[in-house]
Amino acid sequence: MNNWEYSESIESEKIVNIEKKYGNFIDGKFVTPKSKQYIDTISPSTEKILSSISIGNQQDVDYAVASAKEGLKKWSKTNPSERAKYLFKLARLIQERSREFAVLESLDGGKPIKESRDFDLPQVAQNFFYYAGWADKLDIAWGNEQYKPYGVVGQIIPWNFPLLMLSWKVAPALATGNTVVLKPAETTPLTALLFAELCEEVGLPDGVFNLVTGDGSTGSHLVNHKDIKKIAFTGSTGVGKYIQKSLAGKDVGLTLELGGKAANIVYSDAALDEAVEGVVNGIFFNQGHVCCAGSRLLVQEDIEEKFIKKLEKRMQTLNVGNPLDKNTDVGAINSKDQLDKIEKLVNEGVADGGDLFQIECELPKNGFWFKPSLFTSVQANYKIATEEIFGPVLTTLTFRTPEEAVEIANNTEYGLSAGIWTEKGSKILWTADRLEAGVIWANTFNKFDPASPFGGYKESGFGREGGRHGLLSYLKVSS
Amino acid sequence: MTDIKKTYKNYVHGKFVRSESGKVYSIDLKEEKYEIPLTSKKDLRDAVTSSKEGFKNWNQLTMYNRSQILYRLSEMIEGNKDSYISLLQDHGLSKLDSKNDINHAIDTIVWYAGLVDKWEQLTGNLNPVAGEYFNISHQEAIGVTFTLSPNSMSLNKLVKAILPALTVGCSVINFSDKNAVIALKLSEDVNNSDFPSGSLNLLSGKFENIVEDVGGHVEIKHTAIYEDISKKSKEVLGQKGSESVKRISLLPSTSGLSSILPFIETKTVWHPKGK
Repeated sequence: MNNWEYSESIESEKIVNIEKKYGNFIDGKFVTPKSKQYIDTISPSTEKILSSISIGNQQDVDYAVASAKEGLKKWSKTNPSERAKYLFKLARLIQERSREFAVLESLDGGKPIKESRDFDLPQVAQNFFYYAGWADKLDIAWGNEQYKPYGVVGQIIPWNFPLLMLSWKVAPALATGNTVVLKPAETTPLTALLFAELCEEVGLPDGVFNLVTGDGSTGSHLVNHKDIKKIAFTGSTGVGKYIQKSLAGKDVGLTLELGGKAANIVYSDAALDEAVEGVVNGIFFNQGHVCCAGSRLLVQEDIEEKFIKKLEKRMQTLNVGNPLDKNTDVGAINSKDQLDKIEKLVNEGVADGGDLFQIECELPKNGFWFKPSLFTSVQANYKIATEEIFGPVLTTLTFRTPEEAVEIANNTEYGLSAGIWTEKGSKILWTADRLEAGVIWANTFNKFDPASPFGGYKESGFGREGGRHGLLSYLKVSS
Repeated sequence: MTDIKKTYKNYVHGKFVRSESGKVYSIDLKEEKYEIPLTSKKDLRDAVTSSKEGFKNWNQLTMYNRSQILYRLSEMIEGNKDSYISLLQDHGLSKLDSKNDINHAIDTIVWYAGLVDKWEQLTGNLNPVAGEYFNISHQEAIGVTFTLSPNSMSLNKLVKAILPALTVGCSVINFSDKNAVIALKLSEDVNNSDFPSGSLNLLSGKFENIVEDVGGHVEIKHTAIYEDISKKSKEVLGQKGSESVKRISLLPSTSGLSSILPFIETKTVWHPKGK
């Protein structure tokens, strides 16, 4: 183990200009919230207050939905090629201001600048660019049948990839001719608010994109609004089920992208060093705040010892700390609430009898932090092996045969993603055919692309985002 | 000489069975009156057990094989056309309307038979990702599917509530109420078409008796409702279904590519390219 230290390389915060207080973005402009209720949004790496945002109430949501309904009149008459141009322009503006967005994202959410700069922002811009091109090709995307937009769409997004989730939702919805009311997560609203400024700048017609900040109560007003024709939600399976239940019997479209407990299967004939990299990336990317994180390592029994040794060695090289430091690999946990959840589950894992390995590192005094962790000697029924931890915690299980690997991998109510590591092509295809998961990474992990559909099987939700398939989440067959 | 009247039964796992409850309900046609099974909750559970195995059995076959089995069904109906025509006439349709309906049903089955080994080429695709990766969206059947037939006196409408799910590889539990005699008659030709056990089960009864169980049964992966059911039933189905994030389609498309879309899951697989 080397003892080389990295010198600090801090990205300046000066590039961002954060207002003291934000309102909602409705009807093409920022407006004072009717709720008059505010909460602070803080930086999870310092606990410093960044700004104050509104908790939208029923009246705020009513106003936003009415604006989106009015906006639909114009948007549905806008030539599809013109719709495309707005989205292309947005993509360009995001590229131009991506450094500002990246710093803001890392400040507000705690993720390493390396990730917000090199992953989130490039993907966000590409998403708008990709879906812009579909806007005037909807008639050839899925054959000659009549597909129509839903109308006013309500979108609720999580805090783990705030702006990226916005782009996954907003770009296809607008490309297909819907208008949007978006509610970002209460802990990470700032990049969405900056995005609203860009909508103003490109001259997007009033009411086409509306933003109401708030918490679960705001989301609930949106879900239950009588003029909403479709809800798109990304978040926990618990909330997803609540939304599906709320919409039962109503003629409202729904797509859900929910939790996961992905198996990352390492066969003994895998390229082990590459697999170690993939497993590390699979769980520690974005502090493990990833619904498709490879949180269950399934390693073939005969290589377990060797593999775990390599893995622990590699984990020890992870830099945990200031998200704005360009050398940081693992940033801050997004909120105190989330940290508490992670700690509780990890403590239970230890109490159940799991062996816990945590890397040696110094954690900053302020803010919310959790050391990258690895559990071995785990039984399949432990909570850490079945529940989504949504943090930098990897749980190891072993298997002897491919059949057993598939059985363990599928033994969960989730079905979002999975990983396969082997140098044998036929084994990849055999395994992939049998895994119940919407995204499967073979000899890689956590790869995303606007052209690639993403979404789950089973209780990980329904509907796809990304690619040609992502269009179907915002179109319905007209009868 | 006395005419012999046929007793219609549910069709589960390749067998003709009565309801375990022993209960029946009547369908009173112009000429005949039939007492047919009033499917119970237990019958539904048995059908799901069968359908789960049926899903495996159906998916073990090649697409070419499945395609031929569907085509075989159209051949069987063609051979028994007259008996279907007279049954529809007994349901109140004119001879011409009955004949047209059967012909349309045969055309529908032939259309889906020909789609079995093609649909994935129309719905799946390679994805042009920005990087050195092979990335493909492969398509799979969701699994055990419950379908509620429309109450129309029509074989064509009935098969349109069965074939989209079956075509993509789902096993189907079809449930019929007012048109159930037509469905149970169809089961005889299904039985002679080499469908593997459990791939297609046909039940009769009152939907409101089992709606809660259809919604709540976690092994039913998809529920497609081809009839305009009551608001209450929709709510019960949706609320119970939400407990397992069940896919529910209300009045889905019954023609073209859009008819099969509700029944498929998209599985996207990535692999790096390299030397």
